Amino acid sequence: MSIPFLALPLVLAGIMPLLGKISKRFLPDLVANLTLLFLLGYGIFCARELVLTGPNLLQAALPDMTLNITLTLDSFNILLLLTVALVGLGVTLYSIDYMEHYDGKAIFYALLLIMIAGMNGLILADDLFTMYIFLEAAAIASYGLIAFGRKREELEASLKYLMLSAVATAFLLLSIAVLFGLTGSLKLSAVAAGLAALDAQGAAALCAALFLMAFGLKAALVPFHAWLPDAHSSAPAPISAMLSGVLIKVLGVYTLIRVVLTVFGLSSAIENILMILGIVSILTGAFLALGQNDVKRMLAYSSISQVGYIVLGIGIGTPLGILGGLFHLLNHASAKGLLFLNAGALEHATGTRELDKLGGLGKRMPITAGTSVIGSLAIAGVPPLNGFWSKLIILLALIQAKLYAGALIAALAGILTLWYYLVLQRRAFFGKLNEAWQNVREAPFWMSASSILLGAVCVLVGLGFPFVIQNWIQPAADALTAGQSVLHLPGF
Amino acid sequence: MHIFLLCGLVLCSILAILATDLLKAAISLAGASIFLAMTFFELGAAYAGVFEISVVAGLITVLFIATISLTKGEGEVKERRFGRYLLPVFVVGMAVADFLVMRQFLGALPALPAAPEAADLGTVLWSQRTFDLIGQIAVLLAGVFCVLALFRKRSEDE
Amino acid sequence: MSDTWIINMAFVALLVAIGLYALLTMKNLIRMLIGIEIVSKGILLALIATGYEKNNILTSQSLAISFIVVEVCVLATALAVIINIHRHTKTLDIEQLTNLKG
Repeated sequence: MSIPFLALPLVLAGIMPLLGKISKRFLPDLVANLTLLFLLGYGIFCARELVLTGPNLLQAALPDMTLNITLTLDSFNILLLLTVALVGLGVTLYSIDYMEHYDGKAIFYALLLIMIAGMNGLILADDLFTMYIFLEAAAIASYGLIAFGRKREELEASLKYLMLSAVATAFLLLSIAVLFGLTGSLKLSAVAAGLAALDAQGAAALCAALFLMAFGLKAALVPFHAWLPDAHSSAPAPISAMLSGVLIKVLGVYTLIRVVLTVFGLSSAIENILMILGIVSILTGAFLALGQNDVKRMLAYSSISQVGYIVLGIGIGTPLGILGGLFHLLNHASAKGLLFLNAGALEHATGTRELDKLGGLGKRMPITAGTSVIGSLAIAGVPPLNGFWSKLIILLALIQAKLYAGALIAALAGILTLWYYLVLQRRAFFGKLNEAWQNVREAPFWMSASSILLGAVCVLVGLGFPFVIQNWIQPAADALTAGQSVLHLPGF
Repeated sequence: MHIFLLCGLVLCSILAILATDLLKAAISLAGASIFLAMTFFELGAAYAGVFEISVVAGLITVLFIATISLTKGEGEVKERRFGRYLLPVFVVGMAVADFLVMRQFLGALPALPAAPEAADLGTVLWSQRTFDLIGQIAVLLAGVFCVLALFRKRSEDE
Repeated sequence: MSDTWIINMAFVALLVAIGLYALLTMKNLIRMLIGIEIVSKGILLALIATGYEKNNILTSQSLAISFIVVEVCVLATALAVIINIHRHTKTLDIEQLTNLKG
């Protein structure tokens, strides 16, 4: 049932350069968009099935050969798969017009599809080493995509990300090797059971620390965030949306949650570390975002801050906190994806990303301005948009857990977030129109369409939040809090 | 024997960093690969050893040498002095601390036995780690497309 | 845990430390990549040594082979990026690449 999530983008990525030989633009555009549309529809279908039948494990098989491909699909996975497909669809729609700036569209889509296949494979895998391989696949594709324009700053940002990632994955693999040495297995559930049976506190703590470092770097939590502002601001706009919207969440946050919660269990030490990392990231990201003049750089720092909220929510460790963290993951993906697309539309229309030079573009670009306001307010947490509800749930969870200081900081940082987003909106879209932009026109059709799609998601999820929480987020949080028991399915 | 191979590996790695000429550094790295491959043979991992020699000592060294010759010319990079002088001190200190801590830490670790595995590498690779192979395909495609994207022909406006 | 494993893991830690040292102190981009290569040699040794210790040498060999494939792809991408950087800046010095502020 869950094979298409992985196989479809992978196979199509393989034949994409051939399609590019047949027709330079039309066929790659069409195929990439249809793929993502299918993945989104199929994801929704699978999610409905999942509510009816419960989590399932798929064992792929060929008639005369034993294969060992087990794909786990539970309510937590499907949430991530849907987020990837949703932001991916927005990005491919947007790329139809935007990637006309660059040549080599077919290779661009091929890399994008491999990145999506890598993330989907990582989400579905239940084996530590397999997770590593798919993580690398997505990461290598992202190095290529960041450097896609081959300008100097893009290349440097890509190399910086690559070098830091190499260190992170080295820690990851060392930790995997030690866990293999301890428990003799690589399957998540077997490693968890082995660690529970062994009395090896010190080694488990060491491995957990190495995992935290590796995934913290991928998620750009604060001591390990150096690569993110460069990579996210210099990449092509749709790729920035993909990186900030889903890549850091799947490669960093998802893997962190999955490994920490199912393998090591949420001990109070880990909870404290996660909460501290979260709060430090929230504050650092917010303060650094405040002083930025480059639109995309400001958004990139804001991503650090919002990922902090997600990690803080998970770190509280109560069911409500995990619920809030997961809900914020979905909300931030849609809203931040939207904002990066809008930043790209601004750059497309005016050729600059500097706030000093922009101004008054709201009248010239009504759709971009309107969706951008929606995205900003959603992230800043203004009711009734989606970001408000997830931040509210995280705040309530903090108060419920009697962490008043954390709640105060989170609330104040929320106000700071609102402030810098209002500054962003005012300087870019309102006020006096700069003379130079008299002839600026609205972004092309598909770019606007993708902004409207993601903007609509922000509004609809916000308005229909009880439905979304009940049907998507709560089962995901349940699957997580149930932890290992979900992975120990009958027959395995 | 085993310990000598490992020492050779470490020495070659240090040489690869200290060598003033990049070409010599790349060749030292290949030497380190060969020592590592011999360690693998010693541990009974013949296939991994063959891979190490052919791919890492062979292909990667060729890639390094190609890059070095493509980027030769103006702009020689002067390394910091202290980086070079400090390395032997660092290595010795690290090695001493390492052996003291490792014995204490790893020696006391309890461990579970691993499940017995299939008789040959083919079975293990194809029927136990099949998912990894799909991941490898994704990684290879990603690598190939990255290189294609970074060396694609420049369009007129660039 | 046997002595062989302890000795091997000690060398793994040493190799990783040497590689990280190179990454931190060297200025030449290619030499930094050599540092990454040394780190990955350490990891390969860790995988194989653990497999030997657990009597699971075939599994660990298949892991090592997968890892080598990943290593080659990362390295090829990194070298391609470096060649492109050299086209722009005509230098391989990390300190010349200061366009990016933290």
